[in-house]
Amino acid sequence: MSFLEQATKPVNRLGRKAVAAVAELGYIGLLLLESLYFAIAGWRVGQPVRVRMVFEQMRQVGVDAIPIVLLLSFTVGVMLGIQFIAALSEFGAENQVVIAVAKSVTREFAVLITGIVVAGRSGSSFAARIGSMNVSQEVDALAVIGIEPVRYLASPALVAMLIMLPVLTILANGASILGAALYCSPTLDVSIGAYVVQTLNSLEPWDIGQGLAKSFVFAALITLVGVSTGFSVTGGAEGVGRATTRAVVLSISALVIADMMFSYFLNR
Amino acid sequence: MNDCRTEVEGEFALVRVQGEVDLSWSQSVRKAILDALAKARAVGVELSGVSYIDSSGIAALVEGFQSARGKGQKFSLVAASQPVRAVLQLARLDRVFPMVENVEAARA
Amino acid sequence: MNAESPQPLIEVEKLNVWFGRRQVLFDVDFAVMPGEIRVIMGGSGSGKSTLLRHLLGLLRPRSGRVRILGTDIASASPEELLKLRTQMGVSFQGGALFTSMTVGDNVALPLREHQKLDETTVRIMSRLKLEVVNLGGFQDLMPSQLSGGMIKRAALARAIVMDPKLLFFDEPSAGLDPVVSAELDELILRLRDALRMTIVVVTHELESAFKIADSITVLDKGRILMTGPVAEVRASPNERIQDLLNRRPRPVEVDTDEYLRRLTEEDA
Repeated sequence: MSFLEQATKPVNRLGRKAVAAVAELGYIGLLLLESLYFAIAGWRVGQPVRVRMVFEQMRQVGVDAIPIVLLLSFTVGVMLGIQFIAALSEFGAENQVVIAVAKSVTREFAVLITGIVVAGRSGSSFAARIGSMNVSQEVDALAVIGIEPVRYLASPALVAMLIMLPVLTILANGASILGAALYCSPTLDVSIGAYVVQTLNSLEPWDIGQGLAKSFVFAALITLVGVSTGFSVTGGAEGVGRATTRAVVLSISALVIADMMFSYFLNR
Repeated sequence: MNDCRTEVEGEFALVRVQGEVDLSWSQSVRKAILDALAKARAVGVELSGVSYIDSSGIAALVEGFQSARGKGQKFSLVAASQPVRAVLQLARLDRVFPMVENVEAARA
Repeated sequence: MNAESPQPLIEVEKLNVWFGRRQVLFDVDFAVMPGEIRVIMGGSGSGKSTLLRHLLGLLRPRSGRVRILGTDIASASPEELLKLRTQMGVSFQGGALFTSMTVGDNVALPLREHQKLDETTVRIMSRLKLEVVNLGGFQDLMPSQLSGGMIKRAALARAIVMDPKLLFFDEPSAGLDPVVSAELDELILRLRDALRMTIVVVTHELESAFKIADSITVLDKGRILMTGPVAEVRASPNERIQDLLNRRPRPVEVDTDEYLRRLTEEDA
């Protein structure tokens, strides 16, 4: 093997990885377009997205996630209360806690916690379900029956996520604020009701809007990463396991990075 | 050449089916049979001119027979052609349906 | 009716297929006439699964031509492909029943998706097909409650529920006991006679192939060795075919350069 070949090998490998990554991004983009196409116009070409399946998915990704989302966002609320009280009391600015909690929860933490919980629950279950269907040729079976697998497996999931993630985010907003209120109100010497009213007064619509805007993006990211990982599973049961892990790790990473970019551009 | 017409004579109705019974028009055969059962006490379905029947056509016959039995009516398949018999045999329905050779037997 | 000259239902011309840098099918020509039962025979790695995936329209040919029921797969519009798929049925190797649905719903799915039929008709038609495959009364079970032979038969019932013109059967007897597989062979013959189906069976089971086939295509290492009636294939002087028929292990050819390259090169 020539020296040149040796020397360029890492570059070569990097190049191949880059090509694979671009190919995957392209695939995810196509998947998004196709899922939306079937959701909007599928019925015209004999590929309708069934409302019943969307509701079933909404139950699985949304309703079933409510308890854990409430619990975790409540906890994060308490946590934020503790930290802000500690940090702000150094400057004697405890009464700024309300607004600090309100803004950071609605803009950032509620949607992030919700996204991570849903990625862990549903991103992995999309990958596992579609992956095992792929391995057992059920995806092929759908195709030869004349049911577009994307229409049947991806579109209902995407629509359900786009509806339910914002709903969960709003619930998480409430639970976090309540958590912070429970911890802070004795220190601030106000009632919980007064704390909540103060929170509502200090919030602008755009604070909540920012969180909701993110939740739409997160919903799409989680669904597409989970579904695309599922469709590309090879290698039997073990492959399904790997895909599940990969879907969770990838979607949470994508989510955190997207969140950072969002925050950067929206708060300049 | 696909054709389905009903002749009613008093208590007896004969549904004559002809051609290739498939999904494209088997629903009209179904309707003809159910209508005939509403009009007469005994119904025969004449199938000698049927060169092919798919399972939606068979389903129409089954539904007719089931409905006839429910109301105590007489229902029979008349002079079923070989292709019809082959499909009936596939699902062992030849042992379920009353099969007769001619219209007189169906009327009796 | 009689004026129609018989056209092949399946026409494959000069099909070449590559997976990456590896070529898996070489200049494959393949035609099946109406009413024929054709068996595609070959060992593992012969390319028979890849050929089947092209015949099912799951892969689009990039070189060569595949026409099924007169539709060119490479250039077919989604509507044409959908229409084609309502006229063909496929029974996959592992059954590929949808695990989340009952056996009855599995069998009825193609009808519900493609036909606007009265629900009574759907019920009768799908249960009728369960009767045909000797699974009468099993419609309310889940696929996980069925044995291997029952899954195969349920999959066959789903494949024929629309009365397809063209039926594909992947490895009907793989993993079944001899009695059950003999019953399936019998059923395949009766389906052709009663419902006038054209049937393509992919198998490596010789006994079953000889019993049901009108003609056999022997595939080896991506090339068609021969296509002909059963007797002709049995009498063929071709050594590879005789190896296959007599289950002789094939001699391993050794190419020194190739062998060394495989052992030493990093990116082989």
